[in-house]
Amino acid sequence: MPQTTFDVFRYQPDTSDDAYRQTYELEHGEDLTLLDAILRLQNEQDGTLAVRYSCRSAICGSCTCRADGKTVLACMTQVEDLKDQNGGQPVRVDPIGNFKPIKDLVVDLEPFWSKFRSVKPYLIADDAPPERERIVSKEAMQKIYNESKCILCAACYSECNSLAADSEFVGPAAFAWGFRFAADERDTQRSQRAKLYSGEHGIWDCTRCMYCNERCPKGVDPRDAIEKLGGIAFQEGLGMKDAGARHAKAFLYSLRHGGKLNETLLVPLTQPLKAPFDLPFAVKMISKGKAPSPLPHKIRRLDEVKTIMKNVKETI
Amino acid sequence: MARKFAYYPGCVAEFSSKELNSTTKALAPLLDIDLQEMPAATCCGAGDVAEAKPNLYLTLNVRILSQAEEMGCDIMTICNVCTLNLRRANKLVREDPRLLEAVNEELVKAGARPYEGTREVTHLLWYIATEEGLSLLERQGPKGLSGLRVAPYYGCQLLRPSSVMGFEDPDQPQSLERLIVALGGEVADYEAKSKCCGFPILLARENTALKESHVALSQARDAGAECMVTPCPLCHLAMDAYQRKAEAVNGETYNMPVLHLPQLIGLALGLDNKIMDFKRHMVPVDQVLSVVGA
Ligand code: SF4
Ligand code: SF4
Ligand code: FES
Repeated sequence: MPQTTFDVFRYQPDTSDDAYRQTYELEHGEDLTLLDAILRLQNEQDGTLAVRYSCRSAICGSCTCRADGKTVLACMTQVEDLKDQNGGQPVRVDPIGNFKPIKDLVVDLEPFWSKFRSVKPYLIADDAPPERERIVSKEAMQKIYNESKCILCAACYSECNSLAADSEFVGPAAFAWGFRFAADERDTQRSQRAKLYSGEHGIWDCTRCMYCNERCPKGVDPRDAIEKLGGIAFQEGLGMKDAGARHAKAFLYSLRHGGKLNETLLVPLTQPLKAPFDLPFAVKMISKGKAPSPLPHKIRRLDEVKTIMKNVKETI
Repeated sequence: MARKFAYYPGCVAEFSSKELNSTTKALAPLLDIDLQEMPAATCCGAGDVAEAKPNLYLTLNVRILSQAEEMGCDIMTICNVCTLNLRRANKLVREDPRLLEAVNEELVKAGARPYEGTREVTHLLWYIATEEGLSLLERQGPKGLSGLRVAPYYGCQLLRPSSVMGFEDPDQPQSLERLIVALGGEVADYEAKSKCCGFPILLARENTALKESHVALSQARDAGAECMVTPCPLCHLAMDAYQRKAEAVNGETYNMPVLHLPQLIGLALGLDNKIMDFKRHMVPVDQVLSVVGA
């Protein structure tokens, strides 16, 4: 029978302000999920060990925690697989990152829920109701299929690098839901949503660390949803509104005029008001050759690129 | 015989981080690589074009892949972001023949060659951090790094999403470590080696970005690193060019020289310092040069 050591994060604010670690030993069969292991520890060894769970089958999104530093659904993770990956070391169990622990593995998810609510995660159709139900074609549904799979487990927030640096960043799952409704053909708020999601701490604050895509247990790919929301913002004419959007616009400008990025134009185009005040830094960059000629960098067969840019239609 | 690659240095290595380009080119023959220029290749869009116009991103990147196909070569990159953008486009059209057809239609309409889906995209690190690559280095009889303590810094997009990148475990990457040890350096290990440098939002959200780079810079410093090495010129800009700004915003001192991957190899192989052009760095590397005796 396999035997496993668990090295568990403990935080019991009723008895102490400080977190500590505790090890437990467990003998178990070959098939045991991390959640079942934690529940057995709770039942058989230590009734004070706190964990959140409900469905035990990767649907409710409650049991998210870190196993050996990596955010997972505990009920979807086999203990023996963890040991295969860590070379038989004790399995480290921690609460998810970027949220305050309330007790042991349970964290305060209120910021997650308030951000979720802030994107208006529901269908808004303020046109006159049809006589019968609103029929959606398979193709239209396909566009938002990925995002519809989200179970709100918050795994994508746990290692989000923008959230770690800015606690107000709205974040991956909320925007996945935002996209899910902005791109729903029954929703009438596409342009309002694009505006709502574009502000400070919004879609342009995502640093593209790709942790959310990596961690999501359901294949939602929230970063891709944020990217598509950027595309919608452009379609809705918000391409010059935010510094992040202007940054993207500078790439389009460079492509059209030369084919390659014109780095020297990036700064004034992105931050036209701030750039002039950053002169000392600019001088340093120039002295190190880090501000190449602002003239277009022309590739061969640029005409192909120009035609492509003229012809290609966006279909978000 | 040297292996031919279609060389895609990316815009940053071609312009503001020229030292990366010159070092890679000088290194190539020593590593048995024949780098062929791609004079008609555009910018990959760096994720920005994908964020503004996804179909345009796809078409432009497939155009680049098709140029490599015409040359009969796989693509070699030296930038995390280019690697992800090209590989992602490649994966998308290879997995969806109808999408490939639609993209090709646009390419043909613009007078460009359609893509057949036959090319691979690899990063210099992936080429060199294999058994074969490391033995190539050994054959050069490297003079070594004299125990230089190097902090490997991967950044994000060479590792994640692993469904597109797939070279190594994104949570336990080891390629840079293997390389550092093979070159006679010591690894300064730290947790944040695969966290974000903040570059994508450095211009639009400077403070958030500088708080991000702080995490890796401060941990590398605390791990006793004498320098950091990165496979990505955007990480290099964030970590090197913006390091003093990060120090100001975070109220810290890092003093962390940051090397481009090929510069680290170049130092170990005794490549000419002039080619590696360390003068273009913002944080001086003198201390590093004196440790390795360059
Ligand atoms: S996007 Fe994925 S990781 Fe994030 S909450 Fe939804 S299911 Fe969980
Ligand atoms: S890609 Fe963006 S949203 Fe996703 S985890 Fe990174 S910063 Fe957060
Ligand atoms: S308990 Fe419901 S997802 Fe794990």
